[in-house]
Amino acid sequence: MPMYECNEHQFVENIRRMIETSEKFLVNRKINWHDDAKYGPATLPDPEFEKYAILIFRKSLRATVFSRVPFVDDFHKRIYDQGESLHASSNLKFPRLSIPYYRVEYSINLWGGTYYFNFDALFNPEILMEKRRGKLLGKDGSLIYVLKFNPPEENILNINLPKGVMVFDVKNMIKVIDYTSNF
Amino acid sequence: MRQKQQLKSISVYVPIERVEANLSEIGFLLVGSSTIVADGKFWKKMLYVNKEETINVSEEIGDAYPKDPIITICGSKTTILNVINGVKY
Repeated sequence: MPMYECNEHQFVENIRRMIETSEKFLVNRKINWHDDAKYGPATLPDPEFEKYAILIFRKSLRATVFSRVPFVDDFHKRIYDQGESLHASSNLKFPRLSIPYYRVEYSINLWGGTYYFNFDALFNPEILMEKRRGKLLGKDGSLIYVLKFNPPEENILNINLPKGVMVFDVKNMIKVIDYTSNF
Repeated sequence: MRQKQQLKSISVYVPIERVEANLSEIGFLLVGSSTIVADGKFWKKMLYVNKEETINVSEEIGDAYPKDPIITICGSKTTILNVINGVKY
């Protein structure tokens, strides 16, 4: 069964064409959250990196990222000291500070083919100052920067479709290979 | 009377500021945005809403040139025409 990858523009236009033919079809949607170190601060473009600027710094895109101040990564329950390397330029695939994300996959099946559009939506950083206790922060606690990651709202992840187009949420897509065409 | 909703996606070679101004002019409000990664590129995905009509605008982040925001409209035929005319050169 062939699978065809589309970008957002192509995928939506293909759905529009389907709607215009009055053909019945179903849009499948799969949303899973991941935290597999795929995204780290060194590879973020400048406007996105700026959101973390209170806590971290780098010389340029893909340069090693260091912590500017001590902070707590609340999502991963880790604490970083000032000047720690968080994402090394020599090891871009394995950031110490990773950014969680939603993997969003839309697909439609049509005449034996699957047309799909995928994207990853990064969690939004939120930086607060909180009083925390712990081994490094003392029994009475100290004020420290805290980095939190908030998932993006679902309405922003959606492809908005006219009423009447059914969207089914699925857990997984199993690819079926049709060998009959080989004989 | 409420018009039937239609779907349209357009890719335009105009600055995002012009797209935003046009959407604001025809009554759409920005309700949220998120950073996404698609086709190996970072994009800012914004959601605009006006009653039951929605418009998604995705623009590549960074120094990419030329920038061609993708506008996805789920709304009436009038809204689709207004957006297309508003972003014409």
